[in-house]
Amino acid sequence: MIKETKPTVFVVDDDAAVRDSLRLLLKSVGLPVEVFESGQEFLDAERDDRPGCLVLDIRMPGMSGLELQVKLNERHSILPIIFITGHGDVPMAVEAMQAGAVDFIQKPFRDQDLLDRINQALEKDAGSRRMLAERNMIRKRLESLTPREREVLDLVVAGKANKVIAGDLNLSQRTVEIHRARVMEKMEAHSLAHLVRMVLEVERPEE
Amino acid sequence: MTLNANKTKRASSKRARVSRSAAAEREFRALLDAAVDAIVVIDHQGTIEEFSLAAERLFGYRAAEVIGSNVNLLMPQPHQASHNQYMQRFAETGEQRVIGIGREVRALHKDGSSFPCDLAVGRVSGVDPPRFVGIIRDISARKLAEEQLRRSETELRLAQQLANLGNYVVHLDGSEPDYFSPQMYRILGAEIDSRTGTLAEYLDEWVHPADVDRLRGAFAEMDAGSGSLDVEYRVTLRSGSAKHLHHIAQTIYDEQRRPAKHIGTVHDVTDRRHAEDLARQLQERLTHFARLSTMGEMAAGLAHEINQPLAAIATYSQASQRMLALPQHDPADVLAALTQINAQALRAGEVIRRLRNFVKNREVKREPVDCTRLLEDLRTLAETDARLHNIRLRIESESALPTVYADPIQLQQVILNLVRNAIDAMLDVPGHRREVVLSTRETSDGEVEITVADRGTGLAPDAAEHLFNPFFTTKAGGTGLGLAISRSIVRAHGGRLWHTPNAGSGARFHFTLPITPAATGE
Repeated sequence: MIKETKPTVFVVDDDAAVRDSLRLLLKSVGLPVEVFESGQEFLDAERDDRPGCLVLDIRMPGMSGLELQVKLNERHSILPIIFITGHGDVPMAVEAMQAGAVDFIQKPFRDQDLLDRINQALEKDAGSRRMLAERNMIRKRLESLTPREREVLDLVVAGKANKVIAGDLNLSQRTVEIHRARVMEKMEAHSLAHLVRMVLEVERPEE
Repeated sequence: MTLNANKTKRASSKRARVSRSAAAEREFRALLDAAVDAIVVIDHQGTIEEFSLAAERLFGYRAAEVIGSNVNLLMPQPHQASHNQYMQRFAETGEQRVIGIGREVRALHKDGSSFPCDLAVGRVSGVDPPRFVGIIRDISARKLAEEQLRRSETELRLAQQLANLGNYVVHLDGSEPDYFSPQMYRILGAEIDSRTGTLAEYLDEWVHPADVDRLRGAFAEMDAGSGSLDVEYRVTLRSGSAKHLHHIAQTIYDEQRRPAKHIGTVHDVTDRRHAEDLARQLQERLTHFARLSTMGEMAAGLAHEINQPLAAIATYSQASQRMLALPQHDPADVLAALTQINAQALRAGEVIRRLRNFVKNREVKREPVDCTRLLEDLRTLAETDARLHNIRLRIESESALPTVYADPIQLQQVILNLVRNAIDAMLDVPGHRREVVLSTRETSDGEVEITVADRGTGLAPDAAEHLFNPFFTTKAGGTGLGLAISRSIVRAHGGRLWHTPNAGSGARFHFTLPITPAATGE
C-alpha cells in the first residue's frame, strides 16, 4: 500500500515506562518507532518530514501535548496526531480534536485499539502525502508548458472549443490542435476530463 | 510577769536599803545600771523597789515614776490581772510558777505598746518578807526574725504546694540528716517524714520502668562530673496513678572539691503534660484532617499517577504476547518487558503505599530524617499534582545533608502543601515558566533549609499579610488551613517558616529545621 519510505510512529511521552512499553509494542508489530520524552525534544529532532504519525501524551510537565499540537500546526505539519489521555481528560481531548487531532485513546488501552488507530493515522498520512505528491507532480508538469501552451490549456479547461480558442488567440485551428496535443502529452492526461481534474486539483486550494 | 509573793507582810523598801552598808549599796547600784538587761526588784506584794537604767530604756518610765507602784503596770492585759492572782497564790501556798525557770512573756511599754521579752525571776534569799529580782530582756528583734523565718517557711511550703514543687538535700557523707520538703512527700503520695530510702530504692519503687535507665544515667552523669541533672520522667504512685516529674539537681562540693551534697527540686508537671498532650492531640487531629483533605483534592492526580504504571504494564504485557507469537523474536526484548512489568507493578504499589502512609491516622513520631531521602519519597506525591497541571518539579538537593529530627510524614505534609500552593500560583503562566524548584541546603546556623520556589504571580501585599492566618485563602476551594498548619508543624519542630519574593517573578517559601545533635537521647 505504502511504497516509498516505511512510515515511522513517533511517540512523545514524559513517562519512561509508558514510552518504552509503546516502543516495544510497536516494534513487535514491525513498525519503525522513535520515542521522545518531551515536546521540545520532538521539535528539535531532525525528522526530514518523514511519513508516519504521532502518538502524543496530552499531559506533560512543561510543554503539554496540546501546546505541542499548536506548535506543529504553526509549522504546517501534516503529521496525524493520536492523543493518549487519562481518565477525566475529555475536555482536553475535545480541544485536541477541534485542533485537528485524528483520534484519542484513554490509557490503559487495548493494544489492538491503539494499533488500529495508528494504522488509520498512517493511512491518512499516506493519503495526504499521496495527494501532496500528486499536486507537486501536476505543478511540475504545468511548469513544463510553454506560455502559449498554458494559454491553450486555460481555455481548454474553461470548456472552449478549438475553433473558439483559435479565434481568441488569433491562431489557426490547426495550430491550436497541435498545442492541445502537446499539452495532453506533457500533462500525461488520459482524457479531457482527467486534464480538467488535474488543473482544478492544484488551483482550487490556492484560491 | 508572774512574780510571787510571800506569806509574811511588811517589808518596807526603805528599811531594806538602810540595812545595807553604803559600799554594798554603791556596788549594787553600779551592777544594776551596768546590766544590759532590764532589772526590776519588787517586794512580796509586787511593789517596785528598784528599776535599772536598762529598765528605764526598755519600758520608757523613769525609775522615780514607778518605784512604789505595783509591778503589774509593766504588764499588758490579761497578764496584769492574773499576776495579782499568782502573787496571792504564792503567798498562800508557796507554789512557784516562774521562779528560777524563766519564760517568754509580753511586757507593756509606757506608751501603751506591748513587746515580747524573756523574763527570769529570782527570789532574794535570806530576807523576810521575800523580795524578788526580775531580769527582762527585749526579744522583739529575735521574735521578729523568728516570725519572719516562720512566715517565709510557711510561704515556701505554700509556694511549693501551689507549684507542686518539692525540694531536698541529700548529704553524701552522711554528716547531717537528709532533708526532704513536705511537698516532696505529697507529690509522691507518701506519709510525711516516712523513710526516704536510697536512690536505688527510689528508682526501684517509684520510677516508671521505662524511665529508670534514663534517670539512672542522669544521676551517673552528675556523679561522673557534670555536677548537675535536669531530667523528666514518670513515677507510679501507690494508688497506681502516674505522674510526670521534672527533676533538677546540683552537686555541692566541699573545700577539697569532693561532692558533699546533692540539692535538688522535683516539680510535678503532670497537669502541664496532660494539657500539652491534649493540645497535641487536637493539633494532630487537625493536621491529619488537613492531610486527608489534601489527598481528596489530589484524587484526580493520584488516579493518574496510578494509571501510568497500569498503562505501562498493560502495554508491556501485550507487546510480550505479540513478540512471543512471532516466529523469530528476541528473548531479550521479552525479558526486558517482563522486568518492566514487575517494576511498574511495584511502582503502582509504591504510590499506594506512600498515599496510605500519608493519610494514615498515626501517632506523631520524631526520628532522624535524611532530607534527601525524604524528598525522594515525596516526589511521587508532589509530582502527581505537578504533572496534572503540566508543571515541572525540579528537586535540587545538596548531597550529604545532615539529618533532622522530625516526624517524616508531617514534614512531607508541609512540603507538599508548599508545592501545591506553588502549582496553584502558576496555573495561568506560560509553559516555559511552569516550574517548581524544591531545594535543600545546610545553613551556617546548624539548620537545614528547604525552599519551594515558583515563578507564578507572586503574593499581593494584603495577601502576604494574612497568609498564615487560619481560614485565610485566595483559592476558590481552599480551606485556608494549609499554611497555618504548616507553620505550626514547623514551629513544633523548632524551625521557622517564611516567604520572600522570587527574583524575577513568583514567591519562595522557606522553612528551617534544626539539625539532629550528634547524639540524640530521647
